[in-house]
Amino acid sequence: MTDSPATIPARTRHKIFSFARVKAISGNTLLELIRLKVFYFLLLFALVIIGFSAFVLNFTFQEQFQVLKDVSLGAMSIFTVLLAVLSTAMLLPKDIEDRTLYTILAKPVPRFEYLLGKLLGVLLMLLVATLLMSAMFGAALYLRQEMVVSATLRGAGNATPDQVQAAIREIKQQTFTSSLVPGIIAIYLKAALCASITLFISTFATSWIFTILTSVMVYFIGHIQSTAREYWLASGNGSQLAKIFMFFVTLIFPDLQLFNLVDDIVAGNSIQMAMFWKTAGLGLSYSCVYLLAAYFVFSAKEL
Amino acid sequence: MSDPAISIRNLTKIYPVPFRRERIVAVKNLSLEVEAGQVYGLLGPNGSGKSTTMKIVLGLVPPTTGTTEIFGRDSSQVDSREDVGFLPENPYFYKFLTGQETLHFFGKLCGLQGSGLKDRTDELLKLVGLENARNRRLGGYSKGMLQRIGLAQALIQNPRLLVLDEPTAGVDPAGSREIRDLILDFKSRGITVLLCSHLLGHVQEICDRIGILHQGSLIREGKLDELISIENQTEMILEDSSPELLAEIESLISKSNARLVEKRKPQTTLERFFLEVTKK
Repeated sequence: MTDSPATIPARTRHKIFSFARVKAISGNTLLELIRLKVFYFLLLFALVIIGFSAFVLNFTFQEQFQVLKDVSLGAMSIFTVLLAVLSTAMLLPKDIEDRTLYTILAKPVPRFEYLLGKLLGVLLMLLVATLLMSAMFGAALYLRQEMVVSATLRGAGNATPDQVQAAIREIKQQTFTSSLVPGIIAIYLKAALCASITLFISTFATSWIFTILTSVMVYFIGHIQSTAREYWLASGNGSQLAKIFMFFVTLIFPDLQLFNLVDDIVAGNSIQMAMFWKTAGLGLSYSCVYLLAAYFVFSAKEL
Repeated sequence: MSDPAISIRNLTKIYPVPFRRERIVAVKNLSLEVEAGQVYGLLGPNGSGKSTTMKIVLGLVPPTTGTTEIFGRDSSQVDSREDVGFLPENPYFYKFLTGQETLHFFGKLCGLQGSGLKDRTDELLKLVGLENARNRRLGGYSKGMLQRIGLAQALIQNPRLLVLDEPTAGVDPAGSREIRDLILDFKSRGITVLLCSHLLGHVQEICDRIGILHQGSLIREGKLDELISIENQTEMILEDSSPELLAEIESLISKSNARLVEKRKPQTTLERFFLEVTKK
């Protein structure tokens, strides 16, 4: 080791909240996930799209677009949720087990900033993954559209130019519908919400397996709770206690079915923007509530 | 008078045992002060409460009762950690980061940025002798290198207090000597060091004061020299002494009230011998 006089680094005064610290933690989390090669997951997505693109060749063009959208958006939804749960579940336990958490919290870093940085890192990774999957999906859809247009032109026969143009216009309208963007945003928000829930569970879980299993359970409860509630209320035989229980289930577990806009997109229905914003607001609110709950548990945690 | 680097008053930590009535008392009514500029050794067998005390000082664990302060600031408050650098026992940093990225990450957490952060990183990598490994990922570092990058991250914001938990654990004798030299260098720069170690030989070489914890209580505390010197004995080491001179000294001793306890050839330490042999 070589000795040398220490320079006094230019240090800023401690702030109660520092975006620079949050940025450092989120950037580091994103880098960790990238170097863990989580994006290899996307190869599976690409294979699903390519596989189904080949599978739908003999269908009518409307059916081709419907199946491609249904499968791609469904796969996108599953992959983003899986990425969110699996990558968030190991972040906190790994830092505790490896004692890297001690070193970080022994610096002037509030626990809330640590949690927020970790969550933002996962959300950034999910954003990149969603954008990449959207790009692959868009490319597959575009290629399919061009193939259908070429086939239409080849089979035009005696059709007038106006008829051909109308047919092409219809094909293009069926391909990129305006509901695709809010649908993809809803998929991202659902994954972000699942990441917040997983982060909350990981603050009190004893192992990452428990975290993953509990998060998956919450995911399913979130998906079936609206159906169960409707069935319960429609049957009219629920006791007062059962109604109170249902109320708390509804309050604690977000209705994840609301984020499922794929059916409307596949059917070609337009998505009502008021409904979309309400869903987006609900997703963001629940994410914030779960982050705060995670903070309250984590701030009292003895390391 | 300036605030002590660490002030611990009436500290007690009790851990409840889940699903049982019994409780574990990790630290019992501990009070001690570490003056600024000292190297303080906190010693004790496993389970004596050293790590718990250190975690409370660093704000990682809340005390059951009592208070801890760092340079006069309540150590449960985050801003008190601006003045502290911590090296945990067997540090495992992010293996996916390189040495340089690790220091950048911890520097940013301390509010450093831009050229200030870059210069500080370069300086510390040079100080701990890891300039050539700066772009290598920590997953490929040896234990000694991890310990050194750990020291560098602890120093990144130029803290006034260093808390080192077993800094030489698992490091070879040469690396261990280098780390001890560094600690002495920190002391010469006025940095206070709280050192926890089982290697008592190392502690004896570098600490000014020590405290011994046993079953959560401080059973001895004070200046190292005063605690370990044997008051009624004197040691003389002679060089090139003739047998006649030695006989004369022994004769004088026998005529006095003093008693010759031991007469032997002084030995070098095994560590010095090892370092000399491996240097060749």
